[in-house]
Formats: sequence, structure tokens, C-alpha cells
Amino acid sequence: MDNRGNEASRGRNLRTAAILAGIAVVFFVGVFAARIFGAGGGGLVVLGFAVVIFLVIAIGRNLRSKE
Amino acid sequence: MSSIPHAPAAGHDHGHDDHAHHPTGVMRWITTTNHKDIGTLYLWFSFTMFMVGGMMALTIRAELFQPGLQIVEPEFFNSLTTMHGLIMIFGAIMPAAVGFANWMIPMMIGAPDMAFARMNNWSFWLLPPAAILLITSFFMPGGAPGSGWTMYPPLSTEQGMGMDLTIFAVHIMGASSIMGSINIITTLLNLRAPGMTLMKMPLFCWTWLITAYLLIAVMPVLAGAVTMLLTDRHFGTSFFNAAGGGDPVLFQHVFWFFGHPEVYILILPAFGIISQIIPVFSRKPLFGYASMVYATAGIAILSFLVWAHHMFTTGLPTAGLLFYMYVTMLIAVPTGVKVFNWVATMWKGSLTFETPMLFAIGFLFLFTLGGFTGLVLAMMPVDVQLQDTYYVVAHFHYVMVAGSLFAFFGGVYYWIPKWTGTMYSETLGEIHFWMSFIFFNITFFPMHFLGLAGMPRRIPDYAQQFADWNMVASIGAFGFGLSQLVFLYAVIKCIRGDGAKAPAKPWEGAHTLEWTLPSPPPYHTFETPPEVR
Repeated sequence: MDNRGNEASRGRNLRTAAILAGIAVVFFVGVFAARIFGAGGGGLVVLGFAVVIFLVIAIGRNLRSKE
Repeated sequence: MSSIPHAPAAGHDHGHDDHAHHPTGVMRWITTTNHKDIGTLYLWFSFTMFMVGGMMALTIRAELFQPGLQIVEPEFFNSLTTMHGLIMIFGAIMPAAVGFANWMIPMMIGAPDMAFARMNNWSFWLLPPAAILLITSFFMPGGAPGSGWTMYPPLSTEQGMGMDLTIFAVHIMGASSIMGSINIITTLLNLRAPGMTLMKMPLFCWTWLITAYLLIAVMPVLAGAVTMLLTDRHFGTSFFNAAGGGDPVLFQHVFWFFGHPEVYILILPAFGIISQIIPVFSRKPLFGYASMVYATAGIAILSFLVWAHHMFTTGLPTAGLLFYMYVTMLIAVPTGVKVFNWVATMWKGSLTFETPMLFAIGFLFLFTLGGFTGLVLAMMPVDVQLQDTYYVVAHFHYVMVAGSLFAFFGGVYYWIPKWTGTMYSETLGEIHFWMSFIFFNITFFPMHFLGLAGMPRRIPDYAQQFADWNMVASIGAFGFGLSQLVFLYAVIKCIRGDGAKAPAKPWEGAHTLEWTLPSPPPYHTFETPPEVR
């Protein structure tokens, strides 16, 4: 929720950004990993489900925390 | 809900924010960290690229005006179709959506700016070099890539240096998109005004929250795919080279794992804009706010599970074909929920038909038509017949142009009084809408007939039997291009202040936070958080 300019809010913003950037890196590396370790199609399915689970957890957590 | 009840204090005069100390001239735009300035930059960049991509489209349509080779060489024609796609998707539609997000999200949630203002500047200023790389590829030995925007190998691994520039441009634009998305998600999760829970956010913010998650998930996948392409081209790897043990079809899997969610990345922000416009001009709250949120999330989730419907003719196993066919059809359910809710919002409302509403209703008709042709293409046996025909071209232009673009036009007319402090000319707006609506259909509706008759896409010449409808489509395309000049004129008039002065809230049915600010808003807004009940 709203927080303007204080250190705690900057820290929270940076943590959020770091998590999101981490997800991006996992997806980038995952494409290569899926190819190198074989079963490219399988790897993509796993990544797809990872996204689904992530979306459900991320949105669900926020909805719950606001109630 | 899109209509946010707020205490009168939320709408108090934010005159104390008027200390608009910022650089002037060119340096203002280069060094700016202000979300409104950066939103403006995105929107102008997007319109410029729309014009560049549009000129390419008109050259394509001029060549196709009649059978035979008239204007351009076949290789150049292929480059035009490739660059038209890349520029319109990555240079025009995506930046336009980000421009709206930059301008509106902080003002809609009562935030003073984006969470990472400097990164916001960097996100934008990565785009012009990427665009220059794309356009420069035309002047490289071998010309711009002619592989289509999908960049399928083996064609893309064998093309000239223009492909390297394109790959680099895609990397840069991807980095820009990921940074922009991180910024948007962080802003929406951490900087909302007190009292504004997630389920009180305007739907435009919700659609962007979900879009940004999609972007973070799939842009790295595209980056991975084109990186593999690059290493295949220059570093001796064989990811997609069958002679070296690779698999060209793998690229299609990886590309469409990005490419199909990308379709929703392009359309979800448009859904958000339409969800803001329709309730305002119907003078009713949005019907089924919560179901709209869940439908948007549902569309995003399903978008990860349908990529192979772009690959029905590549020899997938039957079980795979059936899975992708049925899941693709399943997307019609949350999309249908949205269309139903928009219609239900208008039902028994006090409708008025100002330009934003005209574009919203135009969107509703034409996007739904594009959605139906998508269902046709989702049926695998039909798709096998229509794969790579003009039916597909008609389908995705109904979704991308009549969908995304019409919504963005509606969004510009809806918010330009707020942005500039000047009302747009309703006459010009209506001329723009009707010209766009009519010429759009003249251009793209005949392409359904051409596709059903078997005309393949991406060809500069065609059989005599396709001549009549191609001529009609080309005439429509030039009319559509011309109508965008009306839009440009209407926007410039507003920027120059040539029109009635806009009040803080020009639309009586509008209730979101941005309308509590003066028009135009001060340079810095909501430094004191508004109260949201």
C-alpha cells in the first residue's frame, strides 16, 4: 500500500523488483536449460505450469492480505 | 470496481503540487523521471512507429493492388511484411500501452509517480535505439530480414546482417519491456493510496498488473529464443540446425510460448481502457467487476497453454492437437464473460455517444468478430486448410487493429482533456472514428474471402482470381491511412490549446481518481496521498 519516500518503502520496492527480475532470469535461463537437458517441450510445459502457480499464489496472497 | 468512492478530501485542490521545477527544452525530455512526461514520450514514439509501420503497410497494399510485380522486388516485399509486423507490435502497440500505463496508473491509484522513476526513463530511452536498429537493417547487405516477424529458422539463420540488427533490437526492446513491467507491478502493489485495495483498483490497473506479469514471464523466453538464433548464426551452435542435431521446430515452440501470451499482452491493456470508457458513457458502474478481474486472470493463465495452435501443421501428435484445440476454444469463455459484462454495463444505461464511446463500441463489434474468426481457426481441421492464408491476416488485424488500436484511440480521446486541459473537437473525433471504422472493414473484411479462396499470405504476386478483393483491400488501406491524419490533427489542436477549456472532470460519469485533479494535472500530483473509501 501507499508509502512515500521512506527507507522502508524503498526497501520494499527493491525487494519486489528483485523478485520480479529473478523470475525473468529464471525464464531466460530455463529456455536454455530445457534445450540442454533435453525434453524441450516438457520443459516448456513445466515453465508454463510454474507461471500458472506463480500467478495464482501472487494474486491470491495479495487479495488475502488486503482483506 | 472502476468507480471508486472517495472522500471529498481526495479531490481537494492539489495546488500545493504546482512547483513544477523541471528542466525545459530538450533536456526535459531526455532527463525526465516524471511519469507524465515519460507517458507522453511513449505515446509519441508509438505514434511515430505507427506511421512508419503504416507506410510499410501501404507499400505492401500498393504492390498488391493488382496481380504482377509493380513497385517492389519480392525480397524487399518480404522485408516489408517482416518489419511491418515487428514495428507495429514492438514499436507501436506495446509502447502505446506502456504510455497509457505511465500516464494513468499513478494518477488512478493516487501515487506520486512510478516506483522506479529513473528506471522508467531508461525503459523509454532504450526504445529509440532499438527502433533505429530495426529500420537500419534495411540498409545492411542483404537488406532487412524477410523471415516474417516470427523469425523462423532455417530462413532466419541464413539471412544477412539485417537479422543480427533485428535480434539485437528485439533484445533491447525486451529489456525495456521487462524493466517497464517491474516498475508497473511494483507501483501497483506498493504505491496505492491508503484505502485502495486491489479489488478497488480501476480495471485498467488490473489489466496492466496481469499484463506486466505476462511480460516478465514471456519476454525472457523470446530473448532466449533469439539468443539461440544468434549463436546458431555466429557461434557454431545447432539449436535449430537439423544438420547439427538441432530442431527448427523447437524455435516455433519457444517462439510461440512467447508469441501467444504476447497477443494478450497487446489486448489486455485495451480491455482495461474499454472497461474504463463504457461505464462512464453508460453512466452505470461496470457490470461484474470481480468477474472481469477473474476473467482477465483466466485469459492470462490460459494464454500459456495454447501456443501450439500456431503449429497445427507441423506434425504434432493427435493428442497434442486435440489438447491445444480445446484449450484454445476455452479462452472464449473468459473473453465471452468480458464481452457480456460490457454489453450488460450498457444495458439500460443513459448512453451517450461521444468519440471515446464510439471507439469502444466499434471495438466491441470488431474485436468480437476477430474473436469469432479466432474460434474458427482454433478448430484444427479448419486451421489446416486456412494456415498461412489471408484469413489469418484478416483475423489478427481484427484483433490487433480493431481491438488494441481502436481501444487506444478511444483512450486518447477519453483522457486527452485531462492530459492537455483542452477538449478535443467532437466533429474531428467522429470523422476519425467513422473513417477508421469504414475503411478498416473495407481493408480487412475482404481478406476473409481471399483466405477462404486460398490466397497465401506474404506473397507479392497472386493469381488473377484474387484481383478484385485485393483491389478493394488496397483502396481501404489508403483510406484508413488517411483517416489517421485526422487523428493527428485533432491531437495537435488539443496540444496547442485550440478548443474549449477542459474542466477537471469533463465526463459526468467518471469517478476514478485522475478526475479529481485539475486539467491539465500539475507536474507533480498526489504527493499527499488521497483518501479512498
